[in-house]
Amino acid sequence: MNNLPELSGRQNPDGGWPYGRGSSWTEPTVYALLALVSKGEVSSFAVSRALEWLKASQRPDGGWSPRRPVEESTWVTALVLLLPASMLTQFNTPAAVSWLLAKTGRESGWVHRLRSAMISGQVQGRVPDGWPWFPDTAAWVAPTSIAILALRKAFQRDPRHQIHDRVQDGQEFLMSRVCADGGWNHGSTKALGYDGPSYPETTGLALAALKGLQPGRLARGIERAEQHLETSRSLEAASWLQLGLLAQNRRPLEAPSLPVSPQRSYGTQEAALAVIAQQALRGRNVLED
Amino acid sequence: MLGASAALAISSCARRPASPRPLVSIVRHPAYDQGLYDSVRRLLLDHKLNVRGKRVVLKPNLVEFDSATTINTHPLLVHAALEAFRSLGAAEVRIAEGPGHRRITLDLADAAGYFQIVPSFDGVFTDLNLDEITPRRLKRPVSKLRTVYFPNTVLGCDLLVSMPKLKTHHWAGATLSMKNLFGLLPGGVYGWPKNILHWAGINESIADLYAAFPNTFALVDGIDGMEGNGPIQGTPKHAGVLVAGDNLPAVDATCCRIMGIDPLRIGYLRMSAGAEALAEHNINQAAEAPRAVRTDFQLLPGFQSIRLGGA
Repeated sequence: MNNLPELSGRQNPDGGWPYGRGSSWTEPTVYALLALVSKGEVSSFAVSRALEWLKASQRPDGGWSPRRPVEESTWVTALVLLLPASMLTQFNTPAAVSWLLAKTGRESGWVHRLRSAMISGQVQGRVPDGWPWFPDTAAWVAPTSIAILALRKAFQRDPRHQIHDRVQDGQEFLMSRVCADGGWNHGSTKALGYDGPSYPETTGLALAALKGLQPGRLARGIERAEQHLETSRSLEAASWLQLGLLAQNRRPLEAPSLPVSPQRSYGTQEAALAVIAQQALRGRNVLED
Repeated sequence: MLGASAALAISSCARRPASPRPLVSIVRHPAYDQGLYDSVRRLLLDHKLNVRGKRVVLKPNLVEFDSATTINTHPLLVHAALEAFRSLGAAEVRIAEGPGHRRITLDLADAAGYFQIVPSFDGVFTDLNLDEITPRRLKRPVSKLRTVYFPNTVLGCDLLVSMPKLKTHHWAGATLSMKNLFGLLPGGVYGWPKNILHWAGINESIADLYAAFPNTFALVDGIDGMEGNGPIQGTPKHAGVLVAGDNLPAVDATCCRIMGIDPLRIGYLRMSAGAEALAEHNINQAAEAPRAVRTDFQLLPGFQSIRLGGA
């Protein structure tokens, strides 16, 4: 994988990482940190600068925004909570967990359900709570999966029922969004009655978040993930599929078979996820440690 | 909706004074072949676009990993436009897109054939989902949007060229050059999908995005479109046309007539331009007339009411 960027060479002077070039964003900064941690680099200058950047970026409500000019805490708060417990001590982590616990998809709120019931004349049953990308919008597969991974780690540090229940509810949300082919897409399984196909990257991500669910419930999802991994030409998708299959105790394809196109450059996130997946295959899974 | 303290209002959004009868060209082009390069260049010359020394952004519609269907704008048309604007003296021509569902944009572009068709594609492409951003306060929004983060690549261009595919849409009726502007919102801020637009009102958001970008041109890929359950799961439909013009509602209204759809029944068109401006006699149709190339696109059962009469 020669054309993958060297992560430390991409770090911005302010300590964060860009997606490709340019300003620092929370998401690539966290993935770069996780990749460095997965390789055992926990106390380097690059790591401490990144943690400083994240510390300065935490918002008064406890969350993080995608990047500094954005005046909203969003799903990336869950990403930050994936960092090792030793690093989270630098932030106001209890506030971040509280922020995450308080967020749900807009569609599961009582205002929306009441409005829907009045329009349709049908009372909808309780919808499992997932997480949105952006506040006051609907819940989707990817942010829900990341939130579950984050809260599972939070539960190891702080075994509260509230955290456990949200993880379980989030997993039920994911199970309510299984596509007809057994995998997951962004979260819209049907449009006007037509089945939507699953995507490889979200199938892997959902399987990672569904670790611990009764194996029988995930047989089709695992099968679909293995099919996706055989055909996917996307490095990021392959990385998530590997992580998802590992979470389900399957031994996926080894790193050298990952699809890296010589035609194009790769971003921080793709490179970092490839490192995270490779290290997980070697027994060090930073998403679960 | 968003903090507006640091936001700049879009001050230059006074749209160019609308021509009484905006020019919309319909050119027959039966296939994705080398002749596209000449057709697109002549189309742009017909519209007397002055792009010398200007920064041009081409915004195709990239939606899904599937080169076998007609979901995405064909890369040969985008490359033809790139070459045509360069030949007209543009200082810079970039291709830019922010897909709504799939977040690995370069993989998507690769699967759609862009790397194969456009030389050095990586160097001329901007992923609008991950671009640098600036907050902008919308002036007189009709949707619930107030301040929106936009990618600097599109805020900084002199001409934004919307290059959609001719497709039906299972929410909006038809997705054309105006709906294509959804891709301007950065997924890095709003997520995948950009669900904030749905809660703010789909038709209203389309109208607001159109109002936010005054210097636009549309070049519609109508060679092979999509009918039925578009924009992703529909069926390929050959129409064999390119449609172009600098008045996006007029272009989209023309595309609707080609597809056998009544443009007055498309909410965002009515909202943006009004019924009178969308009337066929108020559009200067160059080359072919819509009825000469009309080929009715299949509509989902719930959309039969938007069918244009007189087939």
